[in-house]
Formats: sequence, C-alpha cells, structure tokens
Amino acid sequence: MTTPAIEVRDASLAFRLSRSRAGTFKEAAIQMVKRQITYEKLWALKGISLDVADGEVLGVVGPNGAGKSTLMKMLARVLPPTEGRVVVRGTVAPMIELGAGFSMELTAYENIVMYGTLLGRQPEFMRERAPEIAHWASLDDFLDVPLRSYSSGMLARLGFSVATDTDPDVLIVDEVLSVGDAAFQQKSAERMKNMIDDGASVVLVSHNLQTVLEIADRAMWLDQGLIRLEGDPEEVVAAYQASVG
Amino acid sequence: MTSTTYYDSDQARRPLVTEFQNLWDNRGLIRLIVGRDLTLRYKRSTLGIWWTLLNPLLTTGVMWIVFGQIFRFDVGAGIPYIVYLLSGILLVTFFSQATIAAGSAIVGNAGVLSKVYVPPEVFSVSAALSAAANFMISIIILLVVQIITGVGIPWTVILIPIPVLAMLGLTAGLGLLIAAAAVHFFDVIDLAAVFIQLVSYLTPSFYPISIIPDKFLFVVYLNPLYSYLTVFRGFMYGGEFVDWWMFAYMVATSIIALLLGVWMFSRSWRSLVVLL
Repeated sequence: MTTPAIEVRDASLAFRLSRSRAGTFKEAAIQMVKRQITYEKLWALKGISLDVADGEVLGVVGPNGAGKSTLMKMLARVLPPTEGRVVVRGTVAPMIELGAGFSMELTAYENIVMYGTLLGRQPEFMRERAPEIAHWASLDDFLDVPLRSYSSGMLARLGFSVATDTDPDVLIVDEVLSVGDAAFQQKSAERMKNMIDDGASVVLVSHNLQTVLEIADRAMWLDQGLIRLEGDPEEVVAAYQASVG
Repeated sequence: MTSTTYYDSDQARRPLVTEFQNLWDNRGLIRLIVGRDLTLRYKRSTLGIWWTLLNPLLTTGVMWIVFGQIFRFDVGAGIPYIVYLLSGILLVTFFSQATIAAGSAIVGNAGVLSKVYVPPEVFSVSAALSAAANFMISIIILLVVQIITGVGIPWTVILIPIPVLAMLGLTAGLGLLIAAAAVHFFDVIDLAAVFIQLVSYLTPSFYPISIIPDKFLFVVYLNPLYSYLTVFRGFMYGGEFVDWWMFAYMVATSIIALLLGVWMFSRSWRSLVVLL
C-alpha cells in the first residue's frame, strides 16, 4: 500500500469562546485582578483520525456546526490542530471561501495575481496565466476593471477560476460547487472531474448529497466534531438522511 | 518531494529560522503586497503622492512657524531650522507609521489568514516595508529643501539605506511583538500608539538637544530613536560619518528588536489564527 495523501491522527481543534475571551488588555487586567480569567474552550473537532489514499475522493457530510469547515481548514493548513497530527503530501489546492484578499479598488488582473500568489503560486506565473483565467470565467472584457464594479456572481466566478487554475495533488473543497449560473456550474463540475481523473486526492464537503453520491469513493458523516460513521457513500448518506428525518 | 509540498503539523519549528525562511520563501508575495499598498495610495487617490506627505509637511509647517519663527530655536552648526525639523519629523513619522502598520497587519488581514495559509509574519513585514518605501519617497522633499536653503547634498546621502534598513529591523520587530499581542487583546495597538508618541517626544526631532538639562541628557541618549535620528541627519546633511557609538547603538537595537519580536512571535503563532 502506498503512503496516503492525507493522514490525520487523533486531531482535535479548540476555539476559545468569544464571551469568555478577554477582548481587550484592559478587560484582561480587570479580570486578572478579580481572578476571574477563565478560558472556556469550544472543541470543534474531537479526536479525528482519517486517511485519504492517493487519488481517493472522500465526501464529508453533516449538519451545520458539525465541524466540517473547521476540518477543511485544518487540512488546508489554515488552522493548526490543537492536539494530534495532520500530514498532507503534495501540492494542495484549497477551495474554501474563495476570493481571499480580493481588493475592490484593484483591477481583476491585479487581484488574480495577488490571489494566486496567496495560494502559493509564483507572481510571474500568475501574470502569464491571468488572461486565460479571466477567459475561463468569461470575464475577458473585465480584466482591467476594478473589482468594485463586479457583481457578486462575477466575483465568485473569478475566485473559482483562479483557485482551480492548477494541477494539484490534493484538492480540498468546501461548498463551492454551486457558484454562478447553470452553464458555469456545469463547467466547474467538469473541471473538478478532470482534476479527479488526473489523480488528485479530494476531500469534499457538500450539503448536496447527490454530489457526494456521484463523485465520492468513500464518505464520512461528521457530527458535533466526531466521526459518526465512515464508509461506503450510499450507506453513510442513507444513515445521515435517516437521522435528519 | 520538496518541503514546500509537504505539510506536517508536528514538524519541528525552529524559532527564528522558520520565520526568516518563511519570509524568504514568500518574497514574491511581500513584493506584491508592498506594490499594492503603494498603488492604492498613489494611483487611486486625487492627491496621490501628496497624501503621504501631507501629514509630515503640515506638522513641519506648523512647528516651523511656532519654534522657528516665534521661539527661534537655534540648532547650531549653521544648519537652518527647517532642515533640522523636517528631517526629524520625517524619520519619527516613519518610525511610528511603520510600527503601528506592522502591529495592526495581522489583525487587519484576519480575513485572508482565516481562508488561506500564509505565514502571518509576511503581513507585518510587508507593512513595515511599505512604510520604508514611503519614507524613501518623502526624502526627496528634504533633498529639495536642502538645496533651496543652501545646505546642499553631501556624498553621504548614498549611505541613507543603512539607517533605513536598521529602522526596518526595529519597526518590524516591535510590530511583530505588538501584532502577536494584538490578536489576544486588540487595545494593545492603542496602548502602543501612546508609547510611540512618548518616545517620539523624547527624541530631539523639533527641538535642539541643547535645551535639555544635563542631568536628563541620559534619557535622550538611551532612547534608541535618537541614535537613528543622529545617524540619519549625519548622512543626510552633516556629511560626516557620525559617532561610532551612536551607529553601534542603532545597529544593536535594530537587531535586538528584530530577534526579540520574531522570537516572541514564534512562541504564539500556533494560537494565532484560531483567535482571529
């Protein structure tokens, strides 16, 4: 057996609850004097272990607040695990809340270069790719237009186009497949399929259970930060659906 | 498989080494952020470059009237007060802007840091670099004033990058220190602003050092910013290689602040993004 693309070992992740967090130094000082400083932790993920093999597609389902997005961010290196260990092998394309760092005052071209660089690509490479990226999102005529004149649909398409203009080993997808109109959705689904066919390992979060059934090799049901069930997509999705009623 | 395509959350982090490695690896991104900051400031506003210079120029104007014309400060050595004043205001402005910008950069980029993985220190260092670029632009005004007032431009101006680089180390270090604390307590930035203002007033930027009573002189000498200002003025119009002690103090405080800031930062990085 080859080494898995993603290995998660007993990983937990805690957030500090905002109501107990002393927001200001002044408050902290007051609390310190009163000896009231308490850190209430919210465990978003509790002891998660999972493997994703090379080229495997793992679908993650679960209700809101189950920790799905936190898990995606942990795999994408954005949030380090509080406990446990995460190992990801290969280049990663994180598709989580697309369009990070878009500046509305700058042109699409400048934003494409900035966003791609934030995602770990080289600025020179992004300058070369920018026209093609805009073309794919059908935004050729808007390359030199500041983003403030873009519609929300155009922004989403641009973000998706930049994020997917790559040939990753690992793809981390959080609810971004429902971007744009029907034609664009089909186009993006195709692009995603191509990446999977090229052998990328995928972890995918979706509320669209049909998508999970269609493309996942394996599924995982996450609930309150714990893995409820893991295995064959049909079984997991059926069990999850049954629990929702 | 190279290290850039391999992520292990347990990977031993070597304090200082990891941070500087991160900065080097992200140099393309840093250049891009600094470029964006300058573009946003200069190209996209009506006043353009004058916006950055407005604050120090107005301050200089007011102080020149009050202290140069009314109180008639004599800064000695045949140097016009306006040259002394402008050089002081510009450098102190650089110090305070760079420190505050670097200190606010991580909280300010929470939106990016909670979506994609970027070493947070990249944003603080970029902010300090943007302030340095602004300072280099503002020096042009000082050069013009030196020509007009007949002070001239000595050859030592080519050495100006040395104090600028030292200032970069000082402000990036202090900025990282503030940035790491600001994630926990956001009013640390306001607190820092007050301290920065105090340090600025303790620096002879607009008053001659001769008005300070001898018994308090040590306070000014201990103030690191004074050494930066002395070296800067020496290169800018003094035309001399200043006191070696001043120079050594400047370099030492720069390196210490940078190492201390990065070290403190590396201790808190793990909790950083979770708190944002």
